[in-house]
Amino acid sequence: MRDALFMGRLTAGATHEMQNILATIRESGGLMEDLLAVGGEGFAHAERFKKGLCVLAEQVERGMALSEQLNYCAHAPEATPAGAEVNEAMRSLVGLYRRDAARKRVNLVLAAGRTGLRTSLRALELMGRAGLALDCALALLPQGSQLMLSVEEQGGLAVLRLDSPGYEALRGQEPFAELERRARALGAGVSAGPGGQGVVLSLPKPQA
Amino acid sequence: MNKKDWKILLVDDEHEFITTLAERLELRGITPRVAFDGESALAAVAQEEPQVIVLDVLMPGIKGLEVLERVKRSNPRVQVLLLTGHGSTRDGIEGMRLGAFDYMMKPLNIDTLIEKMESAIDYAGKAANLG
Repeated sequence: MRDALFMGRLTAGATHEMQNILATIRESGGLMEDLLAVGGEGFAHAERFKKGLCVLAEQVERGMALSEQLNYCAHAPEATPAGAEVNEAMRSLVGLYRRDAARKRVNLVLAAGRTGLRTSLRALELMGRAGLALDCALALLPQGSQLMLSVEEQGGLAVLRLDSPGYEALRGQEPFAELERRARALGAGVSAGPGGQGVVLSLPKPQA
Repeated sequence: MNKKDWKILLVDDEHEFITTLAERLELRGITPRVAFDGESALAAVAQEEPQVIVLDVLMPGIKGLEVLERVKRSNPRVQVLLLTGHGSTRDGIEGMRLGAFDYMMKPLNIDTLIEKMESAIDYAGKAANLG
Protein backbone atom coordinates (compact mmCIF):
# COMPACT_ATOMS: atom_id res chain seq x y z
CA MET A 1 0.00 0.00 0.00
CA ARG A 2 2.97 2.32 0.61
CA ASP A 3 3.92 2.13 -3.08
CA ALA A 4 0.35 2.84 -4.10
CA LEU A 5 0.22 5.86 -1.77
CA PHE A 6 3.51 7.14 -3.21
CA MET A 7 2.33 6.75 -6.81
CA GLY A 8 -0.96 8.31 -5.83
CA ARG A 9 0.80 11.37 -4.47
CA LEU A 10 2.74 11.82 -7.72
CA THR A 11 -0.37 11.26 -9.82
CA ALA A 12 -2.44 13.70 -7.76
CA GLY A 13 0.22 16.39 -8.29
CA ALA A 14 0.29 15.68 -12.02
CA THR A 15 -3.50 15.82 -12.37
CA HIS A 16 -3.51 19.17 -10.57
CA GLU A 17 -1.01 20.46 -13.13
CA MET A 18 -3.07 18.96 -15.98
CA GLN A 19 -6.08 20.79 -14.65
CA ASN A 20 -4.18 24.09 -14.64
CA ILE A 21 -3.02 23.46 -18.20
CA LEU A 22 -6.55 22.67 -19.36
CA ALA A 23 -7.96 25.70 -17.53
CA THR A 24 -5.40 27.92 -19.30
CA ILE A 25 -6.23 26.40 -22.70
CA ARG A 26 -9.91 26.96 -22.01
CA GLU A 27 -9.37 30.61 -21.02
CA SER A 28 -7.17 31.20 -24.08
CA GLY A 29 -9.82 29.64 -26.33
CA GLY A 30 -12.43 31.78 -24.59
CA LEU A 31 -10.37 34.90 -25.21
CA MET A 32 -10.09 34.08 -28.94
CA GLU A 33 -13.85 33.58 -29.03
CA ASP A 34 -14.36 36.94 -27.29
CA LEU A 35 -12.02 38.73 -29.69
CA LEU A 36 -13.76 37.15 -32.66
CA ALA A 37 -17.10 38.34 -31.30
CA VAL A 38 -15.94 41.94 -30.88
CA GLY A 39 -13.75 42.34 -33.95
CA GLY A 40 -14.26 39.38 -36.23
CA GLU A 41 -16.32 41.13 -38.91
CA GLY A 42 -14.85 40.60 -42.32
CA PHE A 43 -12.71 37.67 -41.15
CA ALA A 44 -13.06 35.25 -44.05
CA HIS A 45 -12.46 32.12 -41.97
CA ALA A 46 -14.62 33.09 -38.98
CA GLU A 47 -16.82 29.97 -39.20
CA ARG A 48 -13.89 27.59 -39.45
CA PHE A 49 -12.20 29.44 -36.62
CA LYS A 50 -15.32 29.11 -34.43
CA LYS A 51 -15.55 25.42 -35.25
CA GLY A 52 -11.93 24.99 -34.22
CA LEU A 53 -12.64 26.74 -30.93
CA CYS A 54 -15.62 24.43 -30.30
CA VAL A 55 -13.39 21.40 -30.86
CA LEU A 56 -10.86 22.90 -28.45
CA ALA A 57 -13.54 23.40 -25.79
CA GLU A 58 -14.86 19.84 -26.25
CA GLN A 59 -11.38 18.39 -25.93
CA VAL A 60 -10.76 20.43 -22.78
CA GLU A 61 -13.96 18.96 -21.29
CA ARG A 62 -12.78 15.48 -22.27
CA GLY A 63 -9.39 16.10 -20.70
CA MET A 64 -11.02 17.45 -17.55
CA ALA A 65 -13.17 14.34 -17.14
CA LEU A 66 -10.14 12.11 -17.61
CA SER A 67 -8.04 14.18 -15.23
CA GLU A 68 -10.81 14.05 -12.61
CA GLN A 69 -11.06 10.25 -12.89
CA LEU A 70 -7.29 9.94 -12.64
CA ASN A 71 -7.25 12.23 -9.62
CA TYR A 72 -9.81 9.99 -7.96
CA CYS A 73 -7.52 7.00 -8.59
CA ALA A 74 -4.60 8.94 -7.14
CA HIS A 75 -6.45 9.28 -3.84
CA ALA A 76 -7.94 5.77 -3.99
CA PRO A 77 -5.24 4.12 -1.82
CA GLU A 78 -5.98 6.50 1.06
CA ALA A 79 -8.06 5.18 3.95
CA THR A 80 -11.15 7.26 4.67
CA PRO A 81 -12.93 6.88 8.04
CA ALA A 82 -16.39 6.85 6.43
CA GLY A 83 -15.35 4.24 3.83
CA ALA A 84 -15.28 4.53 0.04
CA GLU A 85 -18.38 5.89 -1.72
CA VAL A 86 -19.20 3.11 -4.16
CA ASN A 87 -20.85 5.08 -6.97
CA GLU A 88 -18.05 7.64 -7.04
CA ALA A 89 -15.44 4.89 -7.30
CA MET A 90 -17.38 3.16 -10.09
CA ARG A 91 -17.78 6.39 -12.05
CA SER A 92 -14.01 6.81 -12.16
CA LEU A 93 -13.38 3.14 -12.86
CA VAL A 94 -15.87 2.91 -15.71
CA GLY A 95 -14.60 6.19 -17.18
CA LEU A 96 -11.06 4.84 -17.27
CA TYR A 97 -12.08 1.34 -18.45
CA ARG A 98 -14.17 2.51 -21.38
CA ARG A 99 -11.21 2.70 -23.73
CA ASP A 100 -10.17 -0.84 -22.84
CA ALA A 101 -13.72 -2.04 -23.39
CA ALA A 102 -14.00 -0.21 -26.71
CA ARG A 103 -10.79 -1.90 -27.90
CA LYS A 104 -12.51 -5.22 -27.24
CA ARG A 105 -15.65 -3.91 -29.01
CA VAL A 106 -17.71 -4.03 -25.81
CA ASN A 107 -19.84 -1.06 -24.82
CA LEU A 108 -19.29 -0.49 -21.10
CA VAL A 109 -22.03 1.46 -19.36
CA LEU A 110 -22.48 2.68 -15.80
CA ALA A 111 -26.18 2.69 -14.96
CA ALA A 112 -27.58 5.58 -12.97
CA GLY A 113 -27.39 3.83 -9.60
CA ARG A 114 -27.64 4.57 -5.92
CA THR A 115 -25.36 7.26 -4.55
CA GLY A 116 -24.26 7.56 -0.94
CA LEU A 117 -23.65 3.82 -0.45
CA ARG A 118 -20.37 3.07 1.28
CA THR A 119 -18.12 0.12 1.97
CA SER A 120 -15.33 -0.47 4.48
CA LEU A 121 -12.96 -1.22 1.57
CA ARG A 122 -10.55 1.46 0.43
CA ALA A 123 -11.48 2.88 -2.95
CA LEU A 124 -8.41 1.17 -4.42
CA GLU A 125 -9.53 -2.27 -3.15
CA LEU A 126 -13.04 -1.65 -4.41
CA MET A 127 -11.85 -0.55 -7.84
CA GLY A 128 -9.44 -3.48 -7.96
CA ARG A 129 -12.23 -6.02 -7.34
CA ALA A 130 -14.63 -4.39 -9.75
CA GLY A 131 -11.81 -4.09 -12.28
CA LEU A 132 -11.13 -7.82 -11.98
CA ALA A 133 -14.80 -8.53 -12.64
CA LEU A 134 -14.69 -6.25 -15.68
CA ASP A 135 -11.51 -7.96 -16.92
CA CYS A 136 -13.21 -11.37 -16.68
CA ALA A 137 -16.18 -10.09 -18.61
CA LEU A 138 -14.18 -8.24 -21.26
CA ALA A 139 -12.04 -11.32 -21.89
CA LEU A 140 -15.05 -13.56 -22.40
CA LEU A 141 -17.90 -11.48 -23.80
CA PRO A 142 -18.41 -11.57 -27.56
CA GLN A 143 -17.67 -8.45 -29.61
CA GLY A 144 -20.58 -6.07 -29.92
CA SER A 145 -21.90 -6.84 -26.41
CA GLN A 146 -22.99 -4.31 -23.88
CA LEU A 147 -21.76 -4.65 -20.31
CA MET A 148 -23.67 -2.71 -17.70
CA LEU A 149 -22.38 -2.02 -14.21
CA SER A 150 -24.75 -0.67 -11.59
CA VAL A 151 -24.49 0.23 -7.92
CA GLU A 152 -27.43 -1.04 -5.90
CA GLU A 153 -28.48 -1.73 -2.34
CA GLN A 154 -29.45 -5.23 -1.26
CA GLY A 155 -30.32 -6.00 2.35
CA GLY A 156 -28.50 -2.92 3.60
CA LEU A 157 -25.32 -3.78 1.68
CA ALA A 158 -23.82 -1.92 -1.24
CA VAL A 159 -23.60 -4.26 -4.21
CA LEU A 160 -22.11 -4.01 -7.68
CA ARG A 161 -24.13 -5.70 -10.37
CA LEU A 162 -22.70 -6.62 -13.75
CA ASP A 163 -25.11 -7.50 -16.48
CA SER A 164 -24.77 -8.49 -20.08
CA PRO A 165 -26.74 -10.85 -22.33
CA GLY A 166 -25.34 -14.35 -21.81
CA TYR A 167 -23.25 -13.17 -18.89
CA GLU A 168 -24.44 -15.88 -16.50
CA ALA A 169 -22.71 -18.56 -18.61
CA LEU A 170 -19.42 -16.87 -17.79
CA ARG A 171 -19.71 -17.69 -14.11
CA GLY A 172 -18.46 -21.20 -14.78
CA GLN A 173 -15.23 -19.93 -16.37
CA GLU A 174 -11.85 -19.94 -14.66
CA PRO A 175 -11.44 -16.12 -14.40
CA PHE A 176 -14.55 -16.06 -12.23
CA ALA A 177 -13.14 -18.63 -9.83
CA GLU A 178 -10.19 -16.25 -9.38
CA LEU A 179 -12.56 -13.31 -8.88
CA GLU A 180 -14.46 -15.26 -6.23
CA ARG A 181 -11.23 -16.14 -4.41
CA ARG A 182 -10.03 -12.55 -4.35
CA ALA A 183 -13.41 -11.14 -3.41
CA ARG A 184 -13.69 -13.55 -0.47
CA ALA A 185 -10.23 -12.57 0.73
CA LEU A 186 -11.56 -9.01 1.08
CA GLY A 187 -14.82 -10.00 2.70
CA ALA A 188 -16.85 -9.36 -0.46
CA GLY A 189 -19.30 -11.93 -1.80
CA VAL A 190 -19.96 -12.98 -5.40
CA SER A 191 -23.36 -14.36 -6.38
CA ALA A 192 -25.78 -14.60 -9.27
CA GLY A 193 -27.94 -11.53 -9.89
CA PRO A 194 -31.74 -11.48 -9.54
CA GLY A 195 -33.37 -14.24 -11.62
CA GLY A 196 -29.94 -15.78 -12.23
CA GLN A 197 -28.97 -12.82 -14.41
CA GLY A 198 -25.51 -11.30 -14.27
CA VAL A 199 -23.17 -11.24 -11.32
CA VAL A 200 -23.43 -9.41 -8.02
CA LEU A 201 -20.51 -8.41 -5.81
CA SER A 202 -21.67 -7.70 -2.24
CA LEU A 203 -19.35 -5.27 -0.51
CA PRO A 204 -18.52 -5.24 3.19
CA LYS A 205 -20.35 -2.59 5.23
CA PRO A 206 -18.41 0.32 6.60
CA GLN A 207 -17.57 -0.11 10.28
CA ALA A 208 -19.94 1.84 12.50
CA MET B 1 -23.11 49.50 -9.26
CA ASN B 2 -21.61 49.60 -12.74
CA LYS B 3 -19.21 46.80 -13.59
CA LYS B 4 -16.42 49.26 -14.38
CA ASP B 5 -16.51 50.37 -10.72
CA TRP B 6 -16.12 46.85 -9.34
CA LYS B 7 -12.91 46.38 -7.39
CA ILE B 8 -11.72 42.88 -8.15
CA LEU B 9 -8.45 41.18 -7.29
CA LEU B 10 -7.49 37.95 -9.10
CA VAL B 11 -4.91 35.75 -7.40
CA ASP B 12 -3.29 32.66 -8.96
CA ASP B 13 0.28 31.54 -9.53
CA GLU B 14 -0.67 30.34 -13.02
CA HIS B 15 0.37 33.52 -14.89
CA GLU B 16 -1.10 32.66 -18.29
CA PHE B 17 -4.39 31.53 -16.80
CA ILE B 18 -4.96 34.54 -14.61
CA THR B 19 -3.79 37.22 -17.08
CA THR B 20 -6.00 35.71 -19.79
CA LEU B 21 -8.93 35.67 -17.37
CA ALA B 22 -8.20 39.33 -16.56
CA GLU B 23 -8.22 40.16 -20.29
CA ARG B 24 -11.57 38.43 -20.76
CA LEU B 25 -13.05 40.34 -17.83
CA GLU B 26 -11.72 43.60 -19.31
CA LEU B 27 -13.56 42.83 -22.54
CA ARG B 28 -16.71 42.70 -20.37
CA GLY B 29 -16.05 46.07 -18.74
CA ILE B 30 -14.42 44.80 -15.52
CA THR B 31 -10.87 45.95 -14.76
CA PRO B 32 -9.36 43.59 -12.20
CA ARG B 33 -5.99 43.78 -10.51
CA VAL B 34 -3.85 40.65 -10.59
CA ALA B 35 -1.51 39.06 -8.03
CA PHE B 36 0.55 35.93 -8.63
CA ASP B 37 1.06 34.72 -5.06
CA GLY B 38 -0.30 35.03 -1.54
CA GLU B 39 2.23 37.63 -0.39
CA SER B 40 1.46 39.98 -3.30
CA ALA B 41 -2.26 39.42 -2.75
CA LEU B 42 -2.02 40.54 0.88
CA ALA B 43 0.03 43.58 -0.17
CA ALA B 44 -2.56 44.45 -2.84
CA VAL B 45 -5.37 44.22 -0.28
CA ALA B 46 -3.45 46.48 2.11
CA GLN B 47 -2.84 49.00 -0.67
CA GLU B 48 -6.46 49.20 -1.83
CA GLU B 49 -9.29 47.11 -0.44
CA PRO B 50 -11.01 45.11 -3.20
CA GLN B 51 -14.69 44.16 -3.00
CA VAL B 52 -14.03 40.64 -4.25
CA ILE B 53 -10.94 38.45 -4.39
CA VAL B 54 -10.88 35.49 -6.75
CA LEU B 55 -8.34 33.31 -5.01
CA ASP B 56 -6.68 30.05 -6.05
CA VAL B 57 -6.47 27.56 -3.19
CA LEU B 58 -3.27 25.78 -4.21
CA MET B 59 -0.37 28.19 -4.55
CA PRO B 60 3.26 27.96 -3.56
CA GLY B 61 4.20 30.07 -0.52
CA ILE B 62 1.25 31.34 1.47
CA LYS B 63 -1.65 29.03 0.60
CA GLY B 64 -5.02 30.32 -0.52
CA LEU B 65 -6.80 29.35 2.69
CA GLU B 66 -4.23 31.21 4.78
CA VAL B 67 -4.65 34.30 2.57
CA LEU B 68 -8.41 33.96 3.08
CA GLU B 69 -8.06 33.78 6.87
CA ARG B 70 -5.73 36.77 7.00
CA VAL B 71 -7.89 38.89 4.71
CA LYS B 72 -11.04 38.04 6.67
CA ARG B 73 -9.25 39.12 9.87
CA SER B 74 -7.87 42.39 8.47
CA ASN B 75 -10.61 43.32 5.97
CA PRO B 76 -13.82 41.45 6.89
CA ARG B 77 -15.90 43.24 4.24
CA VAL B 78 -13.89 41.70 1.42
CA GLN B 79 -15.68 38.76 -0.21
CA VAL B 80 -13.59 35.84 -1.39
CA LEU B 81 -14.38 33.42 -4.23
CA LEU B 82 -12.09 30.41 -4.04
CA LEU B 83 -10.81 28.56 -7.08
CA THR B 84 -10.41 24.86 -6.41
CA GLY B 85 -9.33 21.85 -8.38
CA HIS B 86 -10.89 18.40 -8.34
CA GLY B 87 -8.36 17.34 -5.75
CA SER B 88 -9.15 20.28 -3.51
CA THR B 89 -12.95 20.35 -3.18
CA ARG B 90 -12.44 19.77 0.53
CA ASP B 91 -10.43 23.00 0.61
CA GLY B 92 -13.40 24.77 -0.93
CA ILE B 93 -15.69 23.49 1.81
CA GLU B 94 -13.11 24.38 4.47
CA GLY B 95 -12.84 27.82 2.85
CA MET B 96 -16.59 28.34 3.22
CA ARG B 97 -16.19 27.55 6.92
CA LEU B 98 -13.45 30.17 7.11
CA GLY B 99 -15.70 32.82 5.57
CA ALA B 100 -15.32 32.47 1.79
CA PHE B 101 -18.37 33.68 -0.13
CA ASP B 102 -18.29 30.71 -2.50
CA TYR B 103 -15.95 28.40 -4.37
CA MET B 104 -15.65 27.41 -8.03
CA MET B 105 -13.89 24.58 -9.81
CA LYS B 106 -11.38 25.19 -12.57
CA PRO B 107 -11.78 25.53 -15.51
CA LEU B 108 -14.17 28.41 -15.08
CA ASN B 109 -17.26 29.50 -16.88
CA ILE B 110 -16.73 33.24 -17.18
CA ASP B 111 -20.45 34.11 -17.07
CA THR B 112 -20.87 32.11 -13.85
CA LEU B 113 -17.81 33.82 -12.39
CA ILE B 114 -19.24 37.27 -13.16
CA GLU B 115 -22.61 36.27 -11.65
CA LYS B 116 -20.86 35.15 -8.47
CA MET B 117 -18.83 38.36 -8.35
CA GLU B 118 -22.05 40.37 -8.63
CA SER B 119 -23.74 38.32 -5.87
CA ALA B 120 -20.70 38.80 -3.63
CA ILE B 121 -20.73 42.57 -4.20
CA ASP B 122 -24.50 42.74 -3.52
CA TYR B 123 -24.05 40.69 -0.37
CA ALA B 124 -21.22 42.91 0.88
CA GLY B 125 -23.36 45.99 0.19
CA LYS B 126 -26.34 44.59 2.11
CA ALA B 127 -24.12 43.49 5.00
CA ALA B 128 -22.59 46.99 5.18
CA ASN B 129 -26.08 48.58 5.28
CA LEU B 130 -27.16 46.25 8.10
CA GLY B 131 -23.96 46.86 10.06
